[in-house]
Amino acid sequence: MRRLLAALTLIAALPAAQAQFRLPNLDVNRMIESAKNVGKATREIGEPEEIAIGRDLAATLLGAAPLVNDPAMQRYVNNVGRWLAAQTERPGLPWRFGVLDAPQINAFAVPGGTVFITRGLLEKMKSEAELAGVLGHEITHVVKKHHLKAIQKGAMTALAGEALQMAVQNRNAAANEKLVSFGKEMYARGLDKDDEFEADRGGVVIAARAGYDAYGLPAVLQTLQAMNPQDSGLALMFKTHPAPAARLDALGAKMQPTLDAWSSQPALAERFRAQLKR
Amino acid sequence: MRLLAVLLLCPLLALAEPATVIRATELKKEPASDAATLAELPENAALEALERRGGWTRVKSASGEGWVRMLALRFGGPGAAKAGDSGVAQLFSAARTGSSGTQVTTGVRGLDEAMLANAQPNKAELEKMSQFAATPEAAAGFAAQGQLAAHPVDEVK
Repeated sequence: MRRLLAALTLIAALPAAQAQFRLPNLDVNRMIESAKNVGKATREIGEPEEIAIGRDLAATLLGAAPLVNDPAMQRYVNNVGRWLAAQTERPGLPWRFGVLDAPQINAFAVPGGTVFITRGLLEKMKSEAELAGVLGHEITHVVKKHHLKAIQKGAMTALAGEALQMAVQNRNAAANEKLVSFGKEMYARGLDKDDEFEADRGGVVIAARAGYDAYGLPAVLQTLQAMNPQDSGLALMFKTHPAPAARLDALGAKMQPTLDAWSSQPALAERFRAQLKR
Repeated sequence: MRLLAVLLLCPLLALAEPATVIRATELKKEPASDAATLAELPENAALEALERRGGWTRVKSASGEGWVRMLALRFGGPGAAKAGDSGVAQLFSAARTGSSGTQVTTGVRGLDEAMLANAQPNKAELEKMSQFAATPEAAAGFAAQGQLAAHPVDEVK
């Protein structure tokens, strides 16, 4: 049934795909084969393509909100983030961190090593360990390629396998536009809840590896829990993430030994306050 | 004026947050599991959270002040959510009146759903962001200044 549906979807999509991407020697069987196998195709997007897709998506997020005009703050967040990224399995990515000038409370990971945090979220934090926990969560999304896989899965349905490969490799304008538009949807819809829980565990582990008080991320989640869930500044984040209570419960269930083993490392509250001039 | 100075020196009062005990826990004299137990706090006990140290939160409870496991607390008071709003929507709905006014539904400046959907790539800002990137060496020096020491920690599946 599923295969039939996939085949029908592809056949319906063919004329459009042909017109836009001018596929040479279109082989329907091969396309069905590649559409069936999302996992296989995931491995086919190489690191250079991942970084190129990421640049387009990062530029788009920057189109929604620019950087806070505070070079010292931007450099500070880059130092924290780059140090955290060095403790992961992908230390060699071109890691970039940016504070977006938006009052909403949120953070975003972009494939290829770009991470954004909003001014609104930064202002809710009390220490560098809290910042490290949140950046660690986003870094985990990048390291585990959560967004890249979501793009691939979604774009696969929209473009079909061969067309996606062309979009990624040839970067033609029409295909690019589709990828970016799918990316926008993805940031508005959010990832799988399991990806978010995995990123929470990863955030704790990365902060602990980097020498920070491991309780930074749970502390931020408690701060969010204390806010009114109807607060307009939380709308997009709450729509795209499990509730703070569920995230705290999940961390408590699986991470208590890790959290406690590394709870007396520095939180660097003073350095954080000095950097944010408050 | 002196009053103002006194108020500024009392940040802990400002940080007090209503919190609820979500599972029965011990009120400790110090932030450590082997510290003296001052009281047993039952589930749903209401208290004020004052500050955090590692996995412990200093609280003011009906049984006095002490430390409880941070993850035994739920913030935001018993059951009900905290009232109020950060004011984001109000602040920016004012800025929006007088524009074409067609997107008044959920419009908030910055990163809400509508802004995301309408965003156009800003390549100049992307270039600017690269200027602030840290090299691995610079980041390591920054970590050393903060007495941060890296070490292996196992991933948890």
